[in-house]
Amino acid sequence: MAYATAAKCEPISADPAQVRVEASLDLAFELVASIGQTILAASRQDPPLKVIRAFPLADGAALIHLHNVSGGLLGGDQLSLRAQIGAGARVQITTTGATRIYRPRKEAAATTQVNEIIVAEGALLEYLPDAIIPYAGCRFSQRTTIQLAAGAGLFWWEVLAPGREARAEIFEYERVHLKMDIAALGRPIAAERVRLEPQRRAMDSFARLGPYRTWATFYICREGLDAKTWLALERELREVAEKTTRPGDALWGFSTLVSHGLAVRCVARHGRDALPGLHMLWRAAKLRLYNREAVPPRKVG
Amino acid sequence: MPTNPLSPFKILPSDAGLPDLRLFHLADSALPIGALAHSFGLESLASHELLKGSGIQNFLCGYLEEAGFVEAVFCREAFRLAALGPRDFFSARWLELNDLLSARKPARESRAGSASLGQNFLNAVAAVGDFPLLRDALQASRESASLIHHSTAFGLASAALAFDEGRAVLAYLHQSAASLVSACQRLMPLGQTEATRILWNLKPTMIEAANRSAACALDDASSFMPLLDWGAMEHPALATRLFVS
Repeated sequence: MAYATAAKCEPISADPAQVRVEASLDLAFELVASIGQTILAASRQDPPLKVIRAFPLADGAALIHLHNVSGGLLGGDQLSLRAQIGAGARVQITTTGATRIYRPRKEAAATTQVNEIIVAEGALLEYLPDAIIPYAGCRFSQRTTIQLAAGAGLFWWEVLAPGREARAEIFEYERVHLKMDIAALGRPIAAERVRLEPQRRAMDSFARLGPYRTWATFYICREGLDAKTWLALERELREVAEKTTRPGDALWGFSTLVSHGLAVRCVARHGRDALPGLHMLWRAAKLRLYNREAVPPRKVG
Repeated sequence: MPTNPLSPFKILPSDAGLPDLRLFHLADSALPIGALAHSFGLESLASHELLKGSGIQNFLCGYLEEAGFVEAVFCREAFRLAALGPRDFFSARWLELNDLLSARKPARESRAGSASLGQNFLNAVAAVGDFPLLRDALQASRESASLIHHSTAFGLASAALAFDEGRAVLAYLHQSAASLVSACQRLMPLGQTEATRILWNLKPTMIEAANRSAACALDDASSFMPLLDWGAMEHPALATRLFVS
């Protein structure tokens, strides 16, 4: 199958002499209309990034697990994920576990990940990964661009852990730099530029995380729905969060975007406080927007 | 420079101090554009006791390093738009700049607050003189139903009024911080002396943010203020509210 033009995205530069691995994963999904099933129609995979197979879900969507067979990202790794969700297709992408950004060698360049996503007319992408865990000393840059066509939908979350909490390695990474752009019909509806340098700027300042350590963002979009629908969903999700969050564990914020979607922000004391909440909000939002039950990845149980 | 025969002091030419006076005027947080009605999320933080009097200076220091810095970058970019030639090209870039800033503001009330101040600010400046650039900007935004943000409006108006770019950015940051200090005075026990001291102490951070913004591309202007984002998002859910945002 032929690829459409990829999302325009300037790669994050790094000294080529220090690059360790350049790997990409290109995926194209199509809806087979006759059986109402989305399939992985084409893929190109460079190790260590790998997708073993696409699992058909009961609702006709395709589920894939992103594997990094090296176990995590190393200093200087330059990885890219390109996914094209064809018209009417429904795709769920998750990871097999947390994305670990390992401590690099001193001379290594930053670890970079570029995600370029196109969701075509009437298609839906659900991107539900585990947390990103930046190890002590790591430098990680990620750039994500998502283009939504007419009627396209998106559930996309990211969870950033403070480090390896179990061994009390908290905010010991050198730098995490996240850039994200979501556009609907070519017009920007959400953009993030986040640069975290815990050694330079205190994370426990109340201007940043205060007493919380884990940060999560969740974008819920469907091009074409009116502002009233999004306001109603904002209220509904706020109620879901209030009912399911123990006071003090996490704070959840909800707001309509400038159009076509909703942003969710979470700060939590621990990663374990964020992911279950995200799953519950995803279920509620999917039911409201698509009148369909969310089918969680099997690893969630 | 002429000298008043009755006074040993030098008399300024009639227009020598005009740019400074105009900049002081437009950067006064009491300029009637509605700034006093917005807390941009501070009200929620105060209400949930995540921001207390003793932490205000530290919080606003972080604000200037993060969100204030991003607004400074957009303010500069708008200032520099004034140099763009053809009207069509300017209008397209002006709309794009404001759309980009709208996308950077995830909380509806803060986005709308910034847009309300920006629209009011540009209207106010356009009403005090003949500024074709500002007319074009207002018309382009009206026709495309695009928001006009405060920082971009301030930058563009500053260019139209031939202010110095760096001074304009500093003035923008100063009025932003002054507005937030004023909001804090209404939200928590914070006396005038302490409020003055806080704003006084924040000035080096304003200069640092303004200087950093001079060499920063829009795409690289980053901000991480998750608690303030949360506060701004949760503001509509507060039972009692003093502020619009």
